[in-house]
Amino acid sequence: MSTSSGPNAGSVLIIDLTRGKVVKREVSSETVKRYLGGRGFNSKALFDMVPGRIDPLSPENVLALGNGTFAGTVLPMTSRLHISTLSPLSGILGDGNAGGEFSAMLKFAGYEQIIVTGRAEKPKYVFIEDDEVEIRDAEELWGLTTGETVDWLRDEHGDEVSVAGIGPAGENLVRFATTMVDKYHSGARGSGAVWGSKNLKAIAVIGTKGVEPADPERFYEMAKEDIDYFNRNEFVKRIYSVIGTHYGLIQWYPSWKYFQAPLSAEELPVGLRPQDLAEYEVGRTQCFSCPLACKDVYYLPSTGEYGTSSEFESIYALGSNNCIIDTEAILRMEHMADEYGMDVMTLGDTIALARLLHEKGILSGEELEGLSLEWGDAEGQIQLIEMTAYRKGFGDKLAEGYRNFAKLYGDEALAYCYDVKGVNRGWYEVDFINGIFTLSHATSTRGADHLRGRSWAYWENDKLMDIEAVKRMLEAGLPDYRKDPVGALIYGERACTLADSLGRCKGSINSWLQAVPLVWKYPVFKGTAMLLTAFTGIEFTEKDVIDATDRIYLTEMAFNVKQGIKKKHYDVKFPPEFAATERAKAQVRRHWELVDEYLERRGCDVETAYPRRETLEELGIGYVADQIEEKEFPEWDGPVREVA
Amino acid sequence: MFVLAVIYENCTGCHLCELACSFKHHGVFDLSLSRITILTKPEVQTSVQVYCLQCQDAACERVCPVDAISRDKNGAYIINYDRCIGCRECAYACPFGAISFEVEARPIKCDLCEGEPECAAVCPHDAIVYMEEKKAARELKKAKAAGVAYGLYGGKETSEHPRKKAEEAVEYLLELVEKSGELDI
Ligand code: SF4
Ligand code: SF4
Ligand code: SF4
Repeated sequence: MSTSSGPNAGSVLIIDLTRGKVVKREVSSETVKRYLGGRGFNSKALFDMVPGRIDPLSPENVLALGNGTFAGTVLPMTSRLHISTLSPLSGILGDGNAGGEFSAMLKFAGYEQIIVTGRAEKPKYVFIEDDEVEIRDAEELWGLTTGETVDWLRDEHGDEVSVAGIGPAGENLVRFATTMVDKYHSGARGSGAVWGSKNLKAIAVIGTKGVEPADPERFYEMAKEDIDYFNRNEFVKRIYSVIGTHYGLIQWYPSWKYFQAPLSAEELPVGLRPQDLAEYEVGRTQCFSCPLACKDVYYLPSTGEYGTSSEFESIYALGSNNCIIDTEAILRMEHMADEYGMDVMTLGDTIALARLLHEKGILSGEELEGLSLEWGDAEGQIQLIEMTAYRKGFGDKLAEGYRNFAKLYGDEALAYCYDVKGVNRGWYEVDFINGIFTLSHATSTRGADHLRGRSWAYWENDKLMDIEAVKRMLEAGLPDYRKDPVGALIYGERACTLADSLGRCKGSINSWLQAVPLVWKYPVFKGTAMLLTAFTGIEFTEKDVIDATDRIYLTEMAFNVKQGIKKKHYDVKFPPEFAATERAKAQVRRHWELVDEYLERRGCDVETAYPRRETLEELGIGYVADQIEEKEFPEWDGPVREVA
Repeated sequence: MFVLAVIYENCTGCHLCELACSFKHHGVFDLSLSRITILTKPEVQTSVQVYCLQCQDAACERVCPVDAISRDKNGAYIINYDRCIGCRECAYACPFGAISFEVEARPIKCDLCEGEPECAAVCPHDAIVYMEEKKAARELKKAKAAGVAYGLYGGKETSEHPRKKAEEAVEYLLELVEKSGELDI
């Protein structure tokens, strides 16, 4: 019955695979106040440890796993594991978070963060049981799927272990392989290949300690209010806990045929409606400490397998964007991607791009060796997914991932590649939602992305969940996107940085109400400040919270500066046919105006897009400026490759 | 008489009840200090709550060599730690594994939180309810009936139940969307 207390119970575990050494380091109150936890800790570690322009698959790269500040506590939805690295997909910061129980277990074992460096000579896994940490042989595990890996580790260490690790895609250095937690929770595309390059198959953890807030009563009272809020919310009860992110199929316009037509609710074909997916559902599940249960558990009659979390993203990317409407086939593909450990969005979008290039004659039929790239061919796609995970035949090219794949076919192909900084997220007109979509993709510190601030900027789902709460947030100073899109986006980015650092889920409802604890009662970041104070015993004001998120965001921008990111990489991409029009040209001009305003308000140099020294010094991180002023960084053009 | 009843079918395995229980009794979030234990296998959607059923004729009470266990006014079997000698007989005798122990410490079990069960207060899915016994029995019957419809028992093929629930969710969503169009913020 050992309990721990203090500002943040755990320590940092540094695992050097080259030397086979493990070191533990304490976390100071100062670090917690400045970087909060999770993403904040990870981004700082990456900036401090990873040099500019290295091959992400070389031993010099660092893999950071951070549980958020509130992991393991009763504050709901706060046990997401944040995973960060220099991404082999993009060559810039690659981070993301995964659910499951790993982050809570890690906290119960007494750790805040794991940092993995170097490369083991032979396959290894790490086993953690409270204070004991061991690097063990994983030769028997190499080659197993993520599900088999978890089963193997449960057999070896007992059912309580929680596992983060990779499947065959990570081992085969597929550039968008992910870290998989407890079989089904996927996070941080690209990170899987980094595990693979380090010869690290998995980390299994059992934690049996407790977590004790500095002011237990105060913390518990507030956390319980937050649970009650979700337990009583009609939207959550009647929609969210029933169909999870499938509600996006009705609300979020899933794209059809490689981003050629977004589908409205009326246009949604049979097979892709929430009720069609529900036919495969046998139950619902969630991550540790979450009252929402956004995840379906599905059963596939044709293969006899169970899977979970067929999210909106997998359905649009593997399904509608490839014109596939066979429900069970889509679920099967989703399950395959989980078992191999691959990101569904880059997988689906890269295959859809291949189909388009084939249709346009840019990709010839020869290399396909009889494979079909017809729109809507589900069986063919199942084959392609397997070939990608094992880098077989044409799959070897798909495994390079979106922009790297397009580059293999030259400028003609790149013209159809709608990436920002190497990452795919479709294309949108600048005028759409007052410039927010395109701007948010451009300013995201991990490349084009929907979970870096965008939906928060225009209260996408908050409006449906609790309109009164939105009004209270506006009164408390949240910028209104209709008048001030740039200000609204910066606030959205802060909300997401905060959630990722606290370990709080933001990915399912994409809303303020979910991402920022108690925002409905103490807007905008006051509730978070109160919770942080009660939990850590360190005094936090709302300004401290905002400053921490800005410190983290600018550190990430600076990390990307070291990887060669320049202002030109904040661009917006259109399909060539549209790009040639006057309408598009006017929109591009508007986009750059918004980018300039954004850089100015973020305290960056408008010419170079580098964070300004004064801004960094004001946030107490002048050392970041020293490093980015030190030398010229060669311009980014995708990930560096040391070895051919 | 009020009873604490669990409805296995409703439990999604979020562990909030365990965190709340350990906090209420020890001021700390610690799964091993919770009087209720959630065993989960998320991939096949089985979560089972292991907890004290406050039996009519309780094995723990019977085997205790120093009569440290007795029933309080809420019907909860309570361990009197002034008498308890820490032998763990009660834990071994409980047919449900509902009593936890550590060798150095005293056994712990559910005390119904003096009539205000914290686990039931936080459970998001009505998987733990604390209600008048007849009402609880009725709730249980309803949940079991839904479970049968859900295809939880006897075969893996799914049924119309999730589809219907999804259809209702979509309908409600469209309603909300329409309403939100009129809202001017
Ligand atoms: S909402 Fe979904 S993704 Fe988020 S914590 Fe809950 S179960 Fe996990
Ligand atoms: S009633 Fe109280 S003691 Fe019993 S399991 Fe629930 S929270 Fe724990
Ligand atoms: S709080 Fe309810 S749903 Fe969550 S684990 Fe406990 S019994 Fe199950």
